[in-house]
Amino acid sequence: MIFLAVMRLELRRLLVRPLAWVLAALTLAELAWRFVLLLGNFLGSQVRLAALPSGPGYTDMVSVPLLSSLLTGSFVPFGLTELALFMVPLLTMSTLAGERNQGTLPLLFGSGLTSSSIVLGKYLALMVWLLLWLMLTLAMPLSLAHAAHFDWGKLASASLGTLLLLATLGAIGVACSAYTTHPAIAAVAGIMMALALCILQIGAQTAGVSNGVINWIAMPTHLEPMLRGLVSTSDIAWFLLLIALALALATRRLSADKERG
Amino acid sequence: MTPARPASPHPVLQLDQVSRKRAGRPAVQTLSLTLQPGQVLGLLGVNGAGKSTTLSMVAGALRPDSGSIKLNGEDFLEHPELAARSIGWLPERAPLWPELTVREHLDAHGRLRGMHGASLKQSREAIIERLELQPLVRRLAGVLSQGQRQRLGLACALLHRPVLLVLDEPANALDPVQVTALRAVIREQAAAGTAVILSTHLLPEVTAVCDRVAILHEGMLRHEGNVHADDHAALEHAFFEVAMGGTARAA
Repeated sequence: MIFLAVMRLELRRLLVRPLAWVLAALTLAELAWRFVLLLGNFLGSQVRLAALPSGPGYTDMVSVPLLSSLLTGSFVPFGLTELALFMVPLLTMSTLAGERNQGTLPLLFGSGLTSSSIVLGKYLALMVWLLLWLMLTLAMPLSLAHAAHFDWGKLASASLGTLLLLATLGAIGVACSAYTTHPAIAAVAGIMMALALCILQIGAQTAGVSNGVINWIAMPTHLEPMLRGLVSTSDIAWFLLLIALALALATRRLSADKERG
Repeated sequence: MTPARPASPHPVLQLDQVSRKRAGRPAVQTLSLTLQPGQVLGLLGVNGAGKSTTLSMVAGALRPDSGSIKLNGEDFLEHPELAARSIGWLPERAPLWPELTVREHLDAHGRLRGMHGASLKQSREAIIERLELQPLVRRLAGVLSQGQRQRLGLACALLHRPVLLVLDEPANALDPVQVTALRAVIREQAAAGTAVILSTHLLPEVTAVCDRVAILHEGMLRHEGNVHADDHAALEHAFFEVAMGGTARAA
């Protein structure tokens, strides 16, 4: 359980870094703005929607769109998943690249830690931070739980999808950080990879290509059903596969570092 | 005062035919060394002689390409976790996490070596007192002077009472008062049974605290022998002979 010591160390470093707090404050402020706009829109159309037999409710019009713009299409102000594409790589950029840059990586190796313990510890610390971020975001729609009717199943499904997306972006960010000495390069690589996973499908469709493999690789294919309330094993497996692949690559790179010296 | 350790039937450290290449060229070649409890070995050599590579391998941060390293008779390469509890390492320029305070550093290093709770707190406070770090405990590592960084690095290396202390140029950036204090700590550790390897460019450092000296050149051990405090000239002669390409005769 030595990775817990690494996790604690990394969490402490995240907590004292201004960047993590600034990012959290700015993104939560932006999400609060989006929440107010979504709520205003919902209240404005409440009478009309009430007349429909199966019209969208508070969860469909406020809670889920706060997490992602994927279903609503109104991207600005950004939902949490859109913000995560930029924020998570900025949070992860220093995890391993920073250690390498400061020369502290050999200290971790010299503590008898395996590469997998280092990667896992750092990844879990990041996940604690991202989980906190997601919970604070969810607290906004949940603050009206006493006055609104929730579709709890749909909200749970959308939250799970968003959590898996954050976990995947975190793993990709850690992997990018493992492959460079400069945190800025890790951040750019992480953002590019995250964007590529999201717009791959749109790019292919624009070019007139409709390919099953491209659709399967694209992240929206697996996130969208969860945002609609449909949880399937294959979608969860896609996220877990990507997380495992990214963390395995990070571990492999770190092991190579130890071998190379 | 550090309490004495129980005697072990094995040498603390045994390097057998250890070799390692770096950037495609041999950095250390067929190096064999033995270190007994309480011994202080000075590792000398010009820049690029292979001192830091040797110490990185001994500290477990770098794997040798061939050969074996044993720690108290146990194969260190098969049991890398031995490094966590048995070795204290102060690398050159004491790498630190700039956003953590001195106390947080000590706690983090302790936890990475499996220490917890009361034992960690006790060891931490003892080392803070011994190395006179009290005025710095709340200060961030990123704002420490080079000498203070070295002291914190040394504190981290000593925190878990290692059986082997690996010091890479520990006197760098220390003023004469701090150098004297460092020598006292090394002697104290040796008296308690800790084996010490000390890499340095400074010959007076070796004659002041070391029992033995090993001189490396181009990755190979060219001279190994005992050190006498009053024999600075002989050591200097051996060092320059090796540095100029010859092989010094063992003392």
